[in-house]
Amino acid sequence: MSMVKLVNVRKSFGDLEVLKGVNLEVQQGEVVCIIGASGSGKSTMLRCLNHLERISDGEIYIEDVLSDKRANNKDQIKIDPVTVQSLCTDLGMVFQNFNLFPHLTVLDNVTIAPLIVKKEDKKVAETRALDLLSMVGLSQKKDEYPSRLSGGQQQRVAIARALAMDPKIMMFDEPTSALDPELVGEVLATMRQLAEKGMTMLIVTHEIGFAREVADRVIFMDGGVICEEGTPEEVLLNPKEERTKSFLNKIL
Amino acid sequence: MLTEIQLWAIFNGTIVTLQIAIVAIVFGAVFGVVVALGRLSKNKVANALSWFYIWFFRGTPLLLQLFMIFYAIPIIYLDATGITFEINPMIAAFVAFSLNATAYLAEIIRAAIESIDGGQMEAAKALGMSYRQAMTKIIIPQTYKRLVAPLGNELIMLLKDTSLVSTIALFDLLRTTKTMASATGSWIYYIYAAAIYLFLTTIIQVVFDKMEKKLGIYER
Repeated sequence: MSMVKLVNVRKSFGDLEVLKGVNLEVQQGEVVCIIGASGSGKSTMLRCLNHLERISDGEIYIEDVLSDKRANNKDQIKIDPVTVQSLCTDLGMVFQNFNLFPHLTVLDNVTIAPLIVKKEDKKVAETRALDLLSMVGLSQKKDEYPSRLSGGQQQRVAIARALAMDPKIMMFDEPTSALDPELVGEVLATMRQLAEKGMTMLIVTHEIGFAREVADRVIFMDGGVICEEGTPEEVLLNPKEERTKSFLNKIL
Repeated sequence: MLTEIQLWAIFNGTIVTLQIAIVAIVFGAVFGVVVALGRLSKNKVANALSWFYIWFFRGTPLLLQLFMIFYAIPIIYLDATGITFEINPMIAAFVAFSLNATAYLAEIIRAAIESIDGGQMEAAKALGMSYRQAMTKIIIPQTYKRLVAPLGNELIMLLKDTSLVSTIALFDLLRTTKTMASATGSWIYYIYAAAIYLFLTTIIQVVFDKMEKKLGIYER
């Protein structure tokens, strides 16, 4: 089943066109790493998927259901809020800056969305949250506030928080870019674990080594379009496009 | 020294002062949230109404607002219906001070909400929360600590501004003591008034400092 499908998606902020016609289809269980220079539209593409941004043109399907459609920057389709909400909760998102809720303990960070969005029973939500926290190796930190955790720990809590909504697709927007180098490994390990469990993942990253190891497909974006895509070997080791080569030369 | 009658009069004056300040801060905080959300709203009508409200009540003297409610409204009513009625001065004071405090607190609350990092709203939305859920569970609770200090400030201002009610036939702390001073020709009553004001504002300061520390517990 196609989990995510973008058809000729464009996105402009005022006069600045960030996405210039992106076509992408992601299958269930696929791990897709997206690389590219900053400003190439990687993050914007992810943010369009869960309606943090609304597209200017094109179509987006989540699990083969239309989630956003627009032509020529007008006539945005009205999708009923319940559908949008259920589509968006199928997409978990992990942010570069973690964005944990600082006024809530680690456990409450993980349970709050199931409790108020899904109206889950408190006991059920807490049991599940503890499972997720032990999966990311942080069950002993459940009563701490986020400010007491390291960046790597915060990001792992953020992953548990996103997983608590039972997403079918996990999106990572440069999840290790704000971390000290020695903390990157623990977050990547958690993500690797998720990939092994068969989670469909869309990962915007600068960690080329990680992409090579876990990605089923690597996408190189440049100037608002997908410039090159293929297996990690194809794109990272034997890039065909000049732009891919020069980007990889710069960062490796 | 004070006679028992004077003591009771000063006590009653203090109660009037306290009542008005406390009613105003409570109503002001509650309606302040509403007006602040209006200012932040994308709805043009809500936005314009809130803007107008703050513009009027911050831009005119509190004393004028008090006069309008206590003196002007009964006259307007009389002209319109031919029926006379009087507003209880205490009610007029409650209303005027609450309306005024709402305007100031709305701006304080709006600024506090806007000071919360935008990533918080995005994270809440990405988890499927509605705007309302994100506001009530994520954004507004994070403003509490930032609101304590300006709220204490506003309460102290209100407490002192209550002396304006002497103009609408209310005996607050200051008017009570002033009356005694003019009747006896002694300045000592002003010292009593100052002492009581300082006593009350000190309590407010201490309580709000404690509250701020307690609410900031999640910050390292």
